[in-house]
Amino acid sequence: MKAIEVKNLTKYYGSFCAVDHITFDVGSGELFGFLGPNGAGKTTTIRMLTGLSEPSEGNVSIMGYDISRDPFHAKERFGVVPEVSNIYEDLTAWDNLMFAGELYSMPRSERSRRAHELLDTFELTGFKDKKVKGFSRGMRRMITIAMAIIHSPDILFLDEPTSGLDVQRSVRLKEIFSDLNRDGTTLFLTTHILEEANTLCDRVGIIVKGKLAAVDAPEKLKRTIQAAQSVEFSFDTMTPMLVHDLAALPAVSSVRKEGDKFRLYTNDPSSVATSLFEYAKMHALKIISINTLGPSLEDAFLAIIKQQEGKGQEP
Amino acid sequence: MTYSEMLSRIWRELRRAWAITKKDARIYYLRSGTIMFGLMFPFFLFISFAVGRNLPPQVLIPGLMAITIFFSASSVGPMAVPTERKTKTYERMITAPISPISILLGEIAGGAVFGAVMIVIPLIIGMIWYDIRIFHPIGFVASIALISFGFSAMGIMFSAIPTENPGDVMMILNFVRLPLLFVSGIFIPIDQMGKYGIVTVLSPLTYAKDLVQYAVSGNSFYGPMIDSFGIIVFTALFLWIGVSMHERSRKTV
Repeated sequence: MKAIEVKNLTKYYGSFCAVDHITFDVGSGELFGFLGPNGAGKTTTIRMLTGLSEPSEGNVSIMGYDISRDPFHAKERFGVVPEVSNIYEDLTAWDNLMFAGELYSMPRSERSRRAHELLDTFELTGFKDKKVKGFSRGMRRMITIAMAIIHSPDILFLDEPTSGLDVQRSVRLKEIFSDLNRDGTTLFLTTHILEEANTLCDRVGIIVKGKLAAVDAPEKLKRTIQAAQSVEFSFDTMTPMLVHDLAALPAVSSVRKEGDKFRLYTNDPSSVATSLFEYAKMHALKIISINTLGPSLEDAFLAIIKQQEGKGQEP
Repeated sequence: MTYSEMLSRIWRELRRAWAITKKDARIYYLRSGTIMFGLMFPFFLFISFAVGRNLPPQVLIPGLMAITIFFSASSVGPMAVPTERKTKTYERMITAPISPISILLGEIAGGAVFGAVMIVIPLIIGMIWYDIRIFHPIGFVASIALISFGFSAMGIMFSAIPTENPGDVMMILNFVRLPLLFVSGIFIPIDQMGKYGIVTVLSPLTYAKDLVQYAVSGNSFYGPMIDSFGIIVFTALFLWIGVSMHERSRKTV
C-alpha cells in the first residue's frame, strides 16, 4: 500500500491557482523530499495533505484513507511538524507531550513511557518540568518533533524541520529522521536546504509555480543535466580580472564565485583543468585546491526550475 | 460504521475534547485579559449600578451571578482561539484526529467550566453578606451548567472572527455584550420596563438572570421552563453560527 497518494490535487485562491493538478505517490517507508522555490506551492500542498486546507479539486489518500472523506482515520496515521514550532509556551515540556498524546487517545501509561523515551532521545530530560517559554529555538523544535511522533505515526510530515537551527542540532535531527525512517516511518520532507534532501531522501519531487516539474531519485535527477559538470578550485590570490579571464577559458560555459573558490561549469572537465593550470602558470598564481564535480542536486533543481519557467512563458 | 465503532469514535472524540478543555484551563484562566474582561469588568460594572439602589438581595445576587457567568464564560474562547491562531497551536488541533465540532466543544467546555467556577464569588458574597439561601439547589447547579455552556458558546462564536489578536475579538464582543446586558432586566427589572419590556426577550442574559433568580428565590418573571427554553434556543443559535463560521474560515485558507 502507498503511504500517500495524491491525484490531481489543485488549490485555487480566487482565480489564482496555487497548486495545479499535481499527481504523485509516496511509498510506505520512503523518505520523500518536496522541493521548490519560495511561493511554488509547497506549503499549500502540505496543508492539503494534512487536512489543514480543503483542496479545490483532486484527492489525497493517507494509508488508504481519503483525507477529505475520512479525516479521522487518516489523521490518526500521521504526525505534523510545521515550519513554525507550534508548542504551548505556558506549559512545561512534559505537559506539551501529554497533551499531544491525549489528542491521539493514548493511554496514560503509554503516553508517559513514550514521553520519557522522547525526552531522552532529544536530550531534554533535564528540562521536563520547565515551561517551554524559556527554551531555545532548537529545544522548541525538538519538542515540536517529539509531540508529532509521540503516537508513533506511520507518516511524518516535516516542513523545513532544520531551518534556523545550529549545525549540531541540525545533524542530530537528521540522525533522528534517518532512525525513524529505518524503523519504518514514511517521511515527507519539505526543505530549501538541497544538500539535506540530497543526503536524506530516496526520491524528491520538485514543484514550480504550482506544477510538479519532476519526481525522481536525486541521483537520477542529477544525471539528466550532465552539462552541469564543473571544476572547483581556489587560487592563493584574487585578481580583479579573474572572473572575466576564467569565463574566456576554452570549454567553460559559465563561472560562479563561491566564497574563496571558483566553480567553472563545463561538459569537458579535463580540458578545463589543463587550461586552468596553464593560466595559473602564466599569471604566477598558486592553485590551493582543485576538484572536478558532477552536477549537484542544486544544479538539477535550478535547471528544472529554469526549464519549467521557460515553459510557463511560452505563448 | 457499526454501532460499537460509532460509540468508540464518540468516546474518543469526547476524551480529546476534554484534553482541550484541560489545556485551556491551564493556560488561559489566569491570563490578565480573561481576569480583566471575565471577572473584574462585570463585577465593578455591577457594583457601580447596584450601589445606592434599593434592590432586594434576592434580585441583586442572581443579577450579579448572571453577569459574572455572562462575562467570564464568554471570555475564555475569545482569549484562547485567536492566541492559538497566532502561535499556530490551533493548527495542531486541526491536524489531530478530532473533528472541528469536537475542538469547539472542548473550547466551549473550557469557558463553561471557568464561568461555573467564577460563580462561587457572588455565591459566597450572597451567602455571607446577604444570608441568601438557595431555594432549589439541583435546579441551581443545572441552570449554572446550562447558562455557562450557552455563554461560552457565544464567546466561541465571536472567536471565529479571523484575527490573531484576542483584543480585536474582545472589543467586538463587548459591543454586543453591553447592549445585551442593558436590555436584560438586570439593572431595570422587567416588570418596571412597561411596554419596553418586550426587548428583554432579545437578550439571552434575560433568561439566565431569570432562571438563576428562580433557583435562588423561587420567583421569576418568565418561569423556569421558558427561561430554559430561551437559553437552549440561544445556545443552539450560537453553536450553529459558530461552527459554520469556524468551518468557513478553515476552508478558505
